[in-house]
Amino acid sequence: MDLIITILEQGLIYSILALGVYITYKILDFPDLTVDGSFPLGAALSAALITRGVNPYLTLFASFFGGVVAGVCTGLIHVKCKVRDLLSGIIMMTALWTMNLYIAGTSNVPLFSQDSIFKNDFLDKLFPDEMKKYVTLLVILILVIICKIILDHYMNTKSGYLLRAVGDNDIVVTSLAKDQGNVKILGLAIANGLVALSGCIFAQEERVFEISMGTGAIVIGLASVIIGTSIFKKMSFVKTTTAVIIGSIIYKACVAVAIRNFEPQAMKLITAVLFLVILVISMERKAKVK
Amino acid sequence: MKKRVVATVLAAMMAVTMMSGCGKAQAKSETKKENYVIGIEQFAEHGSLDNCREGFLKGLAKEGIEEGKNLKVEYKNAAADMGTAGQISDSFVADKVDLICAIATPSAQSAYNAAMDKNIPVVYTAVTDPISAELADKDGNATGNATGTSDKLPVKEQLEMIREMLPDAKKIGIIYTTSEANSVSAIKEYESLVKNYGFTLVKKGISTTADVSLAADDLLSKVDCITNLTDNTVVSSMPTILDKANAKKIPVIGSEIEQVKIGCLAAEGLDYIALGEQTGKMAASVLKGEKKAEDMKFETIKKPGFYVNNKVAKNLGIKVSKKLSKNAVESFDTISESKTAEK
Repeated sequence: MDLIITILEQGLIYSILALGVYITYKILDFPDLTVDGSFPLGAALSAALITRGVNPYLTLFASFFGGVVAGVCTGLIHVKCKVRDLLSGIIMMTALWTMNLYIAGTSNVPLFSQDSIFKNDFLDKLFPDEMKKYVTLLVILILVIICKIILDHYMNTKSGYLLRAVGDNDIVVTSLAKDQGNVKILGLAIANGLVALSGCIFAQEERVFEISMGTGAIVIGLASVIIGTSIFKKMSFVKTTTAVIIGSIIYKACVAVAIRNFEPQAMKLITAVLFLVILVISMERKAKVK
Repeated sequence: MKKRVVATVLAAMMAVTMMSGCGKAQAKSETKKENYVIGIEQFAEHGSLDNCREGFLKGLAKEGIEEGKNLKVEYKNAAADMGTAGQISDSFVADKVDLICAIATPSAQSAYNAAMDKNIPVVYTAVTDPISAELADKDGNATGNATGTSDKLPVKEQLEMIREMLPDAKKIGIIYTTSEANSVSAIKEYESLVKNYGFTLVKKGISTTADVSLAADDLLSKVDCITNLTDNTVVSSMPTILDKANAKKIPVIGSEIEQVKIGCLAAEGLDYIALGEQTGKMAASVLKGEKKAEDMKFETIKKPGFYVNNKVAKNLGIKVSKKLSKNAVESFDTISESKTAEK
């Protein structure tokens, strides 16, 4: 049971990152590597602010905003400086490494003795002791649901439609007398905002900021998006955002299985194989439906 | 419609339960009295950290807790990923192991966080600065149910030794990874101490293994000798640095025994196996219930040992004084190709 809670916690935290990756990768068709930098950016901001006594809940907004700035930078590099999409992400990712070190002060900031969004006087009073185990999960769940609902609503606004149009058919956007560059920047801003938010929550859950925590974040995000969208491809009643969230949980479950049952050295390989198996199985079903 | 969503989620959850269920049952059935189950989590594959683990098990064995007899060891490696480290710690907690041994700072912090309020003691090792990692308070007392050993470098002794070996050296170079907290705190200590021994410090920060080669070239053109920290990235690239330094006849001073074996001139440093053993003994007294981890101060290695490689000294034309070589815990007359070859 404890393990399931862990998988859900981790899966849900990373699902916010996955939602961000979903916007860039699936909607904008933009392979955004900024993620490896904006994930620890959120963590760095939250660590720096919490250690200075800022309310942990406020750091959620600060981190989101920090991510937005990072996303806008990537967007500007790509749109205004006409740098290729992949490269603009790499540039920002590299720059953010140093930024994160500056923001956090050092490469490792422990938050054990600090309040967090999961552990503070208010929550302690609100929940009785026997509920303690589930508080973290509950808080994450609420945050994920809020993000999902806002994102779903946003996608149905005019601006959201434009965003989706840029990825599918950018001529439509131009013909509507809108600048597709600005729409792209907006998309990147929202995406990286979500990624940084996810990093902020992760740092508070693990109660430590570590500079290397963003390494491979993009891989986890992409895997979650692809697992989620391919499993639920034929189930149109499941919103894509929901699919992505579930995809993220499944990915973390794969990692948990690999951790538990296999040699430590083989872990990454096993995760890769599990990932492949899930993809292949979900594709087979698609073929049968046809 | 909603029902189907719920059904899918439940199905997924059930699958996970099934998978995780098997593992849990195994772990529990073997937990009898006088039989211990411990989880060892190591942050990365790394020679020094591997030595810590080896020493840790040795230390336990010396106290009568032996793997295969009355000890079951679950060993996991986080492959240098924080997320994985978190999941490993949580899975140990879920298994309700008797003790978690965490090797290196990120793993120690993640184990500490996961085991907090869960009544599972954590014994860490290879944590350079447990105080700034908030694993211990200013006086070295445990902040939670966790204790262990620090691999803090004996900077003072190292500088004394360098001064004695290289009386004419003026500039000491250090390559370190800016993202490793251990190295940053060691650099600070070097900065404050070098003057006392008549050195100036030239430091070179790097971000990844890929930078080592360039940084080494640059540094070697400016300094009289190089000294090493316990920096994971730099230590993994030791052969590269040694190669370049040898070409320029610039001595490289190591920080632990393994580095001296592969071609560093000398080291006033750590023996990670001994450090691991010391940690293992601490863990044994926690397991046996003699002491509680929360009541134990963290320890550092009792006395740094002096290691010297005579072959390297000969190649560089440096004479090792009798006084020094007499004090050497171990001296080597060959340069081994790599750590794995030695083992």
